[in-house]
Parts: sequence; structure tokens; C-alpha cells
Amino acid sequence: MSLSPASFDYVAALVRRETAVIYDAGKEYLVEARLLPLAREAGEVDVDAYVLRIQRDLVEARKAIDALTINETSWFRDNAPYQVFTDVMLPALLEARGAARHLRIWSAACSSGQEAYSLAMLLHESLPSGWSAEILATDVSTTMLERVAAGRYGQVEMNRGMPATRLVRWFTRVGSNWEIAPELRAMVRTRHLNLAAPFPPLPTFDIVFLRNVLIYFEMDVKCDILRRTRDLVAPDGFLLLGSSETTLDMDVPWHREPIDRVQVLRPLTPAAALTGA
Amino acid sequence: MHALIIDDSRAMRMILRRIVTDLGFSCSEAGNGEEALAQIAIGPRPDICLIDWNMPVMDGYTFVTRVRSEADLRDITLMMVTTESEHGQIVRALAAGAHEYVIKPFTPDAIVEKLTLLGLVRDGVPA
Amino acid sequence: MSLTYDEPQLADVLALAEEVWRSFVGDDEPLLPAEPDPGIVAYAATVTIAGAWNGAVTLEFGDGTAEAVSARMLGSGSMTEADVADAVGELVNMVGGNVKSLMPGPSALSLPVVSAGRVAHSNDTTEICRCDLRWAGLPMAVSVHAHRRQDGHQS
Repeated sequence: MSLSPASFDYVAALVRRETAVIYDAGKEYLVEARLLPLAREAGEVDVDAYVLRIQRDLVEARKAIDALTINETSWFRDNAPYQVFTDVMLPALLEARGAARHLRIWSAACSSGQEAYSLAMLLHESLPSGWSAEILATDVSTTMLERVAAGRYGQVEMNRGMPATRLVRWFTRVGSNWEIAPELRAMVRTRHLNLAAPFPPLPTFDIVFLRNVLIYFEMDVKCDILRRTRDLVAPDGFLLLGSSETTLDMDVPWHREPIDRVQVLRPLTPAAALTGA
Repeated sequence: MHALIIDDSRAMRMILRRIVTDLGFSCSEAGNGEEALAQIAIGPRPDICLIDWNMPVMDGYTFVTRVRSEADLRDITLMMVTTESEHGQIVRALAAGAHEYVIKPFTPDAIVEKLTLLGLVRDGVPA
Repeated sequence: MSLTYDEPQLADVLALAEEVWRSFVGDDEPLLPAEPDPGIVAYAATVTIAGAWNGAVTLEFGDGTAEAVSARMLGSGSMTEADVADAVGELVNMVGGNVKSLMPGPSALSLPVVSAGRVAHSNDTTEICRCDLRWAGLPMAVSVHAHRRQDGHQS
């Protein structure tokens, strides 16, 4: 059961376009090996059928791309946004939320959970006593959500961006893996969510991390996601995209506010939007 | 900036050398902790040492304790790069004064990220 | 004699080998499970673990495999036997070091030994885990041996 040339060509072109990773001739067996488990999970009879599927199913396309680009996400990815989180966003919210003393954060394309747990570490280290926080980690992949819930990571993953002091403080060894401390795991809830589809009922968030996922969507869908996300963020809340992403030239209700070289987005109120502020 | 690579494996020294020189560091090598101390004494002074744990003559842990006990070597950043990956070992190394810790196997990105965390690299070049 | 429950599982050892390979030999050619290769072992690299757990981790390479792996790892074309020994010695050091951390400690890892041929394991060790693999179509294997007491009740 091997991949047809047409299937291989399609997949190679897709991956190259989306990620610049190149699969050239001779690598058919690799594509087949990496897509076969996804094909089975999706209920397709073989990889060729699955390749037809990804041409019309953006969710599966994304899973396929992830599987074909072995991409180890990093802890505290790009570092600067997390610095801004600790130095600017948290202090602002601590001042503003004195009544409820509770913060809500959304990790909106959480993948294997490094982002959500990085934030949990920072919160645990910075929140004054009497305060609480919850992090909602959502993703379109149930496999990823299971990984987040398990909170277990391999050694190569633990090398990526994790200060050694935090490694030993927040993780214990379980077999060849490292497992997150229970108090951090308790802060993170997982939920299946497809950004391109209507959102289920969600609370109002103080901070949303929507990093490195909008690149998978067409422009009109991107704008739509950004509009619907604005409705879920408190007027004094914050949105963060990936370091190379921008809302420039997009008609979306967000105001760009650079902080320490990080592009932070603040909700644009309807009134401000009308006056073009 | 100057890096000193301390590992009894020639292959590992080659790999680490390539990573740090690609970043723009100058680089020297030692095969064990004692050789490394001798090199530091005669200079050039490293800004960072990448240190394996298990080496003959003087292991990496002992090297770290020695360096951290010398007042005039206090400004040298010490990063373990080792297969020793038990929680207790990492705690020991950090308690002895290592500033960072990379578990083998690692990818080049991991080293660059750790050097960035340490403030020795910014935007992919020596800070 | 029964196996202790505290022994490296095949899945763990394979995962460790894969991580080492992806990091140092590249991720464009994966380690793929394969049928045992009938050919000769051209190179073997082994480390021993001694202390709370006693055993050995061995990498075996078929004809041409060690040279190809080493060339990828060291990023150069021409490999002397010493270059190959350095490279595969470090690979078994990393796989073995990680197997060590799976087992009860404390234990010490030996320096790697590389031979141009199979390792002959003695009577007081048993192979408890073996993965036959192909890398870029070339044969190799990872195995773990554990020390056994000679107590007359061996199975």
C-alpha cells in the first residue's frame, strides 16, 4: 500500500508552501509513514484517501502539516512576550482586578501545552497570595489535548527554552519523561476547539495567546477569528500573536500597542473603531 | 566572546564547536576538568564553559565546584551539557554553581536558546 | 528466574534511540523498525552501567552503516576508523546515559568501547531488550543486556 505520485506531489507542495520544509523524490516512504496514523485516526482507508481528505478539510490539513514537520515547540517561546506578560500585563491586571482577584487566560492553539504551562509557571511565581488564575488550553487536535492533560514531556523537549532552575522546580522524572507539578496542571483546563468554527460559550478572558496559528488560515477566516476573539476579551485585556505575525492592513477590531518590541494587541471598542482611532 | 568546550568525546567537542562558532564565538577545547582549569589559567578567559559531567581525571561536577570557589573566576558562565539527567543530578549541579544545564541529546536550537537565556546571545549573535 | 519489573522497556529504548538520532544524525531519515539483518556486524559500540542496576547498552552497525551515520553526525565526507569510533562512541554514550537514567540509581556510566565487529557478551549477562532497525536503508540494532546471577534457576 504505497502513496500515489499525485498524492505525494500534493503533500510535498503543501508542506513546502506552508512551512518551507522540503520533501523531495525518494521521501515517499517518509510521507506515508507519517500520514498513515493520521489517516487511520481520521477513518480513511489509506493514505491516498487521506490526502484527498486534507484537500477539503482544513483541520486534517493542519494535522498533516504538523506530522510532516517535526517541530519541537519551545518553552517561553521567543521569550520577549513572556517578559511582557510578567512585567506589563500582570501588573496592569493585578491593579485592575482587585475585586475578583482572579485572572483568565486563553492559550488558543495550545498544541502540546508548552505555552499554557509556561504561563502557569509565571503565574505561580508572580501572583500574590489570595489571587487565583485559570488557563484554558484549546486546540483542534484531541491528541494534542491529551498531551497537555498528561503534562509529560521528553528530554529533547525539556531542553528547549526551559531554564534549568524551573525544570527542577516544576517537573519530576517519570520514566524517560518529565512530568509537570500537580499544582501547575491544576491551573490548566483543556478543551477541543476549532478556531475557524463558531466558538462555544466561553468566559471573558484577560489575556489571549493566539500565537503561530493564524498562518494556517485564509485572510477572510483570519479576520473573522480575530473579530470573534475580540468579543471574548475584556476591554482592558490583551492579545498576543506570534512574533512574525501582524494585523497590519487587516480590518479587525484590535489596536496595536508595541511594548518592549513585542506587538501587543488591545481591544478596539466600537466607538474607537468608528472614529478610526 | 569565547567559549571553552570541556568533553572527553572528540565527536561531541566537534559538534559543540560548530554550534558556537556558527554563532560567532571563538572557541577552545579541553578533554577533562583538569585540562580545562589549566587552559583557563593561561588564558584566553572563557565567557562560557560547556561542560560534560563524566570525564576521566576530573569530572564536570568537580570542575564546577573548583571554578565557583575561585573569586576571580566568578564571572565565567558555566553550562553543563551531559547525559546525566536524573532530577537529583541537575539539582546537585545547580547547587554547586552551574548556571544552566542541557541534557544530551540536544538540538543546536536548544544550545542557542540556553545561551540566549543566559544573556550571552541576543538575536542569534554574541551579546 | 524471573525478570525484575525494573527493566528498560523496548518502547522506551527505541524512543531514546530515536531522540539521539533526530538530534545528532538528522530528522530527515528516521530509525525504522526492521527485520533482523543476517549480515555481519561491522562495528559495535557499548557502554556499561554499574551500581544500583548493572548492564550494558550496545549499538550494532551492519556493513557501511557506521561510516554513513558518522559522516552525517560529524558533517564531513571522509571518515577514518578513529572518526567512526568517536562518533558512534558518543551515540552509545547518549543512548546508554539515558537508559541509565531510566533505571534505579545511583549508577555510573562507563566510557564507550567501540569494536570493529560484534561484542561477545558473557554468560552472566542476558539480552533483555533488542530493536533491529534500519537507518537510511542501512542495518543496525540497539540492545540492552542485564547482569544475571548464576543461581541455577535461570529460565
